[in-house]
Amino acid sequence: MDHRPQAWGRPRDDVYGAYDASYLQTSGPKTATQSPVVTGTSVIAIKFRDGVVMAADNLASYGSLARFTDVKRLRPFLSTSVVGFGGDVSDMQFLDRHLTELAIDESYEHEHSENPAKSQLNAANLHKYLSKLMYRRRNDFDPLWNQILVAGFDSSSKPFLASVDLRGTTFTSPSLASGFGAMLAQPIMRRYAATEEDAARLSREEAVNVVKECMKVLFYRDARSLDRYSIAVVTKDGVELSEDEQLEKQSWAFAERIRGYGTQTV
Amino acid sequence: MFRNNYDNDSVTFSPQGRIFQVEYAAEAVKQGSVVVGIASNTHAVLVAIKRNAEELSSYQKKLFPIDEHVGIAIAGLTSDARVLSNFMKQQCLGHRLTYGRSMPVRTLVEMIGSKAQINTQHYGKRPYGVGLLVAGVDDQGPHLFEFQPSGMTEEMVAFAIGARSQMARTYLEKNLDKFADCGREELIRHGLRALKESLVQDRELTVDNTSVGVAGLVASDQDGTTKVEPFTVYDQQEVSAWIDSVADDKEGGASAAEGEGGTMEVDS
Amino acid sequence: MTSIGTGYDLANSIFSPDGRNFQVEYAVKAVENGGTSIGIRCKDGVVLAVEKIVTSKLLKPNANKRIATVDRHLGVVYSGMIPDGRHFIDRARDEARAWRDTFKTPISTADLASRMGGYMQAYTLYQSVRPFGITAIIGGFDSTDEPRVDGEVGTGPSCGAGGKVAGKTHGGPFLYMIEPSGLYWGYYGAATGKGRQAAKAELEKLDLGGPGGPSLTLEEAVKEAARIIYVAHDDSKDKEFELEMTWISGPDGPTKGLHQEVPKALREEAERLAKKAQEDDEDDEEEDVEGKEKMEE
Repeated sequence: MDHRPQAWGRPRDDVYGAYDASYLQTSGPKTATQSPVVTGTSVIAIKFRDGVVMAADNLASYGSLARFTDVKRLRPFLSTSVVGFGGDVSDMQFLDRHLTELAIDESYEHEHSENPAKSQLNAANLHKYLSKLMYRRRNDFDPLWNQILVAGFDSSSKPFLASVDLRGTTFTSPSLASGFGAMLAQPIMRRYAATEEDAARLSREEAVNVVKECMKVLFYRDARSLDRYSIAVVTKDGVELSEDEQLEKQSWAFAERIRGYGTQTV
Repeated sequence: MFRNNYDNDSVTFSPQGRIFQVEYAAEAVKQGSVVVGIASNTHAVLVAIKRNAEELSSYQKKLFPIDEHVGIAIAGLTSDARVLSNFMKQQCLGHRLTYGRSMPVRTLVEMIGSKAQINTQHYGKRPYGVGLLVAGVDDQGPHLFEFQPSGMTEEMVAFAIGARSQMARTYLEKNLDKFADCGREELIRHGLRALKESLVQDRELTVDNTSVGVAGLVASDQDGTTKVEPFTVYDQQEVSAWIDSVADDKEGGASAAEGEGGTMEVDS
Repeated sequence: MTSIGTGYDLANSIFSPDGRNFQVEYAVKAVENGGTSIGIRCKDGVVLAVEKIVTSKLLKPNANKRIATVDRHLGVVYSGMIPDGRHFIDRARDEARAWRDTFKTPISTADLASRMGGYMQAYTLYQSVRPFGITAIIGGFDSTDEPRVDGEVGTGPSCGAGGKVAGKTHGGPFLYMIEPSGLYWGYYGAATGKGRQAAKAELEKLDLGGPGGPSLTLEEAVKEAARIIYVAHDDSKDKEFELEMTWISGPDGPTKGLHQEVPKALREEAERLAKKAQEDDEDDEEEDVEGKEKMEE
């Protein structure tokens, strides 16, 4: 047995072979984030007549482990916009702190305005800012591993919804979904709001119901999802955020008909 | 003459707590030709007298657009003004690029205020030798700010800086209550009348020596929202109609528009 | 005073033989010419007020504010050279931001006062700079809840290691005043600027200290602040002025822990009372004079 201190805590060479020290080498290309670590899954949102509804579940996964089950992934900004985060949770926290500072700076500029709401950063301004930030980080080869949805109003007071991802790609549509939601929830939402005109006819109640229905489908089919979720409704009156919703009226009857997984053979 | 020991730099207080170098810089502003600014509920205007060094030379510009929604009028060292103007242009463009909106006017003005203050607190620097009137519109409406070499910035209803500007300020004070509800044209005419008060005897407003700059908010008919009238500088023939419209005010005694011209004479 | 003509007062950071830095003393003179600022720390918050002399009729009324917010829960007011005050506030905001970056929680009033005291002091150390021509009053309400961590996404353990400590109290209202030398103290009531003597005399009459803490409530403090500014102004018989007031309450109070301007209605009510108190005072004086005359008869 080798009792020298430099061998403490290391696999024994005589059992496992010589240690491959190339792992520890610091030469070679400098690397930043190569993959997300603790992640949140889909964020979904749909516009309606007087605003936007957004939802995301409260799960933060560590790989396939459901690690944290009370993680709030929807963040209000200046009580006029909502930002929803999918992807890496620590990058989300970084962005959340950054947005807090942005909101404080913004309040400095308008603390003495007669009507601050008129000139504060709206959702469109915020989305523009985030898209510049994300694109800059991608060009630094140090991306923030998130897909972000921004909901609120634009400068002409129309409902606004847009996304930006870790590459700085921006997109806008009457309904948006990130991650698994892009496959599973988006087609459902498009059934109700394929165009801006359709969205403008949706009532708040209808929009909320569509989103809740989508959250249910996502819980059924997305293994990294949870039945507890947050939902935010942005209207001209502000942001109503509920962070502890429970999926209701689940029915797993469809599971009976699924074939090809697990122990089933027929 | 008594030698003042406390006026050699901007890092020395006098026993009274004054900084003479900053006060001297303020004097440089008074060497520049006069500029006037007024803000109403819908517009912000700047008017200026341009000077030429000699008969055959061109006139020095006094009004400069900064961004779509802001413009400045300068009095004092033109080259110092260019430094500030470039800085303001960059800040406005940067803000537009990152946020997709125009920079609030107060934010912009406070930025040059902070920049100028640094020059009054560090050895080897000197205060800017220029005063500015900054006129612009943002989401809160039209604004007019004054900037001084000390770094002091204040929002004004109307103001005048530069040579003999006291007379223009007297005019503005007398008509202060009228400005808020003035239309675009009437506001410009008030500006020109104030400008005339500060002219030396026998000088007149001409198309060569007068500049007018306007920014505004225009209500669009369709949906009741307001649109920005971009800051635009008018020179030469573009200002002749305005000059003509205030031409009779002085000689006639009574102002054609309001009849307050006669009383104004007392002060000048 | 042995400053002028000795040569020891011609540059900053120079000690005179009796150990004084005259440039700092001259900076204090700049403060003493400025409009009066006061701060009152009361039972449930802090009130800041400033007398703004109207130097020109052409100034836009109520548009040029002098009390600034730092972070969300701190307010700064100052007397003296206004551009220096803007510089001070820019720096205070940078400090508050840097604190958040490092500690992921808002800066406390005491820590901001310490940082800014250090910053002001640094401007007395070198011949290449001049001291700040301001005295600043910092008011703040440090969160009485357990401080939140910026960016936190869930709730930690409710007890035990890393959890809550039962019965622990946090925060409260705080008030500090920083002078051009960088010297700062915590105050129950602070005043600076032209009318500071009169203001201090009035502040001392209020119940702000004592072992049981101040009994004055926020609303009372607002009214006292307005009255004191009016008294301090009256003393100097200056030009017209505008009164600007802000306040900071705890999370259960009117501002919910934020530094905000005192609502217009309350400010106007406070000003009305201040004017009335002043008139009553004048009447009393006249009566006194009459009384004395009668006695003499």
